Amino acid sequence: MSSGVIHDIGYQRYTGPRLGRGYAIRSLYLHGLRTAFGLGRSAKAKIFPWATVGIVAMVAVVLTAVRAQGAPVMSYAEFSVSVALLAILFCAAAAPELVSRDLRGGVLPLYFSRPLRRTDYALAKLAALTSAVWLMLAGPLLLMFVGGVFSVHGPKAVWNEVLDFLPGLGQAAIVAAVYSSLSLLVASLAGRRAVAAALIVAVFVVTAPVVGVLIGIGGPAARQLAFLASPSTVVQATGVWLFDLQGMDIGSYGPVYGLAVVALVTACVLLLLVRYRRVAQ
Amino acid sequence: MIDSTIARITARGLFGRRRFLLLLPLPLLLIGLALLSDALGASPRAWAQPILGGLGFGAVLPVIALIVGTGVLGSEIDDGTLVHVLAKPLPRSQIILTKLAVAVAVTAVTVGVPMVVAGLIAGSARLGLGLAVGCAVGAFAYSALFLALSLVTRRPVLLGLIYVLLWEGLLGNLLSGTRMLSIQQYVTAVAARVGDTQLLAGRVSVPVSVVMAVVFTVGGTLLAIDRLRSFSVAGETS
Repeated sequence: MSSGVIHDIGYQRYTGPRLGRGYAIRSLYLHGLRTAFGLGRSAKAKIFPWATVGIVAMVAVVLTAVRAQGAPVMSYAEFSVSVALLAILFCAAAAPELVSRDLRGGVLPLYFSRPLRRTDYALAKLAALTSAVWLMLAGPLLLMFVGGVFSVHGPKAVWNEVLDFLPGLGQAAIVAAVYSSLSLLVASLAGRRAVAAALIVAVFVVTAPVVGVLIGIGGPAARQLAFLASPSTVVQATGVWLFDLQGMDIGSYGPVYGLAVVALVTACVLLLLVRYRRVAQ
Repeated sequence: MIDSTIARITARGLFGRRRFLLLLPLPLLLIGLALLSDALGASPRAWAQPILGGLGFGAVLPVIALIVGTGVLGSEIDDGTLVHVLAKPLPRSQIILTKLAVAVAVTAVTVGVPMVVAGLIAGSARLGLGLAVGCAVGAFAYSALFLALSLVTRRPVLLGLIYVLLWEGLLGNLLSGTRMLSIQQYVTAVAARVGDTQLLAGRVSVPVSVVMAVVFTVGGTLLAIDRLRSFSVAGETS
């Protein structure tokens, strides 16, 4: 004798709007951007990103103050290059935060069970990191620009200031693109945040002396091409080519460096996509 | 003093993972560049300072010491598996000394061997010996410092990177006073004296370097032991 009864307790299908792939990408991007600066996280997570931003802003304030007393110390384009070390540290803190936690927590299958595709995930994270690095350079640049505008006189001078400022934003964008794509690729290979941070810095720190070695032992042409050996000097040499930065002799190899930046970013993005095609099957 | 079981577990934790292979390119780069420079016929005077001083002592040694030094204890803290070690009837000082010994040995060998090879390419066995001693001194001081850091803070690697990049790298070149607290300078000074060479130039005197390296090593170890005695167990936080 069976006494089992199935009650209708009112389960229903969801019939509301489904927000889809574009919404998921936008959310992931925005969330990534907030994560990079530790917004919406504990105070501990904010210390590091905001310390680097604070130091960059402090450098900008000092430069503006010095400039108000006399001649400008450096152009806007040179600023991004001279604080590149802090951009590296920012990347070392933010990139593992963006991708390594998801790898370690094993939550990628949850992301990929949504309309979000694997490439979307990787590109949204990359876009978030690139924007974050750019913002962390462009914010202090804007500070310098405002200070500069108030220390010059006449509309013509202000227009010149704007013409100086735009290359600065451009150089910041190049720095952001190269540093973020490289560091996100490295971070996506390591599940532990600590290891990922050390590896990111290792890529930049270890390749920098190689440039010095090549300059020391190479011929004249090798000397002008030696800056290809390290991502940070490639960025700087591209700035020398595009925005007339000082301090590097690259001869007529400017386009080579421009090409190197494009190739480096493209290679990093492709490798990142390959990495996310295979991870967490 | 040294517990062989903990040493074995620690070594396996370091080498048993694929990520340790990611460190391999660094020593290879060191030897490769030295070979390349030598093959191109450049004199050691031209390449010894950038390769041995800049790359070896300035980048490879601190980076490897950082990854190994924070890894021996830090990974267990992150995993929460440190509890199993702490629950055993072992003095905390023994745990720290064992971990430190493993970190020092791994760092000294991983960096020391390629540095000695590069030193032999550069010229003499004496220079190779000097570089080996320098690496050993650096391995002790850096490992103790980074081991202590991994117990003092939840983000030891980032703090260690700040020390290596900003303090030693940037400020060490701008402000002469910061060199007194820079392990990189001690290592260079000791290596130059033992190797009896003009190729490397330490900016801190040798007795000061030796004393300060000992201070860093002993201080770091004592601090680590003290922190581990009152260690509170917590999972990974944000």
